Amino acid sequence: MLEFLIQRATISVVTLCVISLVVFTGVRMIPGDPARVMAGTDADAAGLEEVREKYGLKDPIVVQYLRWAGLALRGDLGESIRTRESVARMVAKKLPITIELACFSLLIAVGIAIPAGVVAAVRRNTVWDVLASGASLCGVSIPNFWLGIVLILFFSVRLGWLPASGFVPFWESPVANLERMLMPSFVLGTALAAVLMRQTRNSMIEVLSADYIRTAYSKGLAGRVVVFRHAVRNSLIPVVTILGLQMGALMSGAVVTEQIFVVPGFGRLIVEAVFTRDYPLVQGVVLITASSYVLINLLVDVSYSILDPRIRIRGAGP
Amino acid sequence: MSATAHVLVKTPAAASDRLRRGWRRVMRRPASAAGAVIVLLFVATALGAPWIATSDPLGTDWSKIRKAPTWAHPFGTDDLGRDNFSRVVWGSRISMQAGVFSILLAILVGVPTGLVAGYYRGALDQVIMRLTDAWLAFPFLILAIGLVTIMGPSLTNATLAIGLGATPAYIRLTRGLVLATAALDYVQGARALGAGDPRLMSRHILPNIVSSLLVQATVSIPIAIIAEAILSFLGLGVQPPAPSWGTMLNTAQQFLETAPWMAWWPGLAIFSLTLAFNLAGDGLRDLLDPKDY
Repeated sequence: MLEFLIQRATISVVTLCVISLVVFTGVRMIPGDPARVMAGTDADAAGLEEVREKYGLKDPIVVQYLRWAGLALRGDLGESIRTRESVARMVAKKLPITIELACFSLLIAVGIAIPAGVVAAVRRNTVWDVLASGASLCGVSIPNFWLGIVLILFFSVRLGWLPASGFVPFWESPVANLERMLMPSFVLGTALAAVLMRQTRNSMIEVLSADYIRTAYSKGLAGRVVVFRHAVRNSLIPVVTILGLQMGALMSGAVVTEQIFVVPGFGRLIVEAVFTRDYPLVQGVVLITASSYVLINLLVDVSYSILDPRIRIRGAGP
Repeated sequence: MSATAHVLVKTPAAASDRLRRGWRRVMRRPASAAGAVIVLLFVATALGAPWIATSDPLGTDWSKIRKAPTWAHPFGTDDLGRDNFSRVVWGSRISMQAGVFSILLAILVGVPTGLVAGYYRGALDQVIMRLTDAWLAFPFLILAIGLVTIMGPSLTNATLAIGLGATPAYIRLTRGLVLATAALDYVQGARALGAGDPRLMSRHILPNIVSSLLVQATVSIPIAIIAEAILSFLGLGVQPPAPSWGTMLNTAQQFLETAPWMAWWPGLAIFSLTLAFNLAGDGLRDLLDPKDY
């Protein structure tokens, strides 16, 4: 187990190093003086000199990278050109909003996908299977930003049931927070639910045809007991991996969803940074997003190995 | 009857038999067949846009601002009095272009890279795969946003960004397929007969993994189409006044209360095209993979 963990952690560290190199090089590929890019067009000579000094822009590129990576490791991702606020602080302010959105979306996705996938597999080739599979296909195909617009048209414009946009912190008013989070979470959760449902269905079909399930039935166990106690638990193992792999899609989806519903989260911060050409902010958010994706996948790998011992035995092999 | 004559007599019958069998397999999946037909209709719309569109997609008319659908303008008009139907028709060209070309780029970069990694293995494979892992760590839209920030917003750059974002999936898939195929007896046999590496890769391995890559392409194209629409919706892809479905939805968002039809048609177009691709892709996968899921 320890060997498996070390192996996975090493791969993640190498990946993080490559990511930091890509992000570092990316900003230096923007045409013009890197100091001007980092400090903004309205920076004066003193401001430019300060940036050159801080990031050692006169040093060889390798030294520059190591200094930048060292600062990033200590949480110093530079300053926003627009607000002069620390990038790390700006991200720390916006991230909880996106995490809340992602958590609600996950709840909605899992709440829809797992029961629907199980029913589709148990009632295979019936109308339930066709309905669940059809809904899943539609969920994958529907562009989430259009779904968002359609929901606003119905629930906000036509029916007036839910506010179309905005955000209220949970501790200020839980009800107002949930009212504003419901539609964005549903939009973000739909595509994820569609993918999870397909995976659950396929995985359940495979498990239901396994020998131990047949044995459970032949022992005289009730169908419900076999499905819930023996089949569902094992079929969910691959679903965990898919869930991890979908984190990237969830982050991408948050960018668009927050834009439509004017949720002032991490995703909206990225788009604002791009439009205001706030390069240190773009650099910071891209680095944080990619790094958290690597860490989430490491956690998924570890949890997967705990759920399924065959993985860690295989992983520790030669 | 000589052997040659026998072959001459049998060939047309065998061909028609194959056709009949293929048709029967397609008809067993009517939804997939319908998906394929809809994809072809969209291709025809994209190619025939100049003849299908009823008016200039860029022509503004101040007397027709935000008019509801009528016979003259079946999809209504937009905030500048432009005909929505014509813009949706021309938009299919942009979506198809971005979807197909970005995936072609991903295939052109990803397949040879995966082929080399899977065939030679060893240190080269490790380097390629670690770089691919890092590449995969950038969520697709974040990578596209980063690239468009560096290169500037345009259809070409959005296509490039989408293509580069889709590439690691092809590297991984090709590598995995090559690892499985290279170990097969017929490849070992060809090697024993003296076939060199390039010949083994191009003549013996690649043709046997093409079907799986084709299935992957049908899965990736709708994702690329949605990605282009998202980038254009965010203002990072096609720039106005070009008629992209994403930019049309971006504009429509501002007029949801007064002109909801502006949001219906471009959204429905994206939805139906991606659904059709997914249905056709499902059918293709079922045809090529007999595993009954």
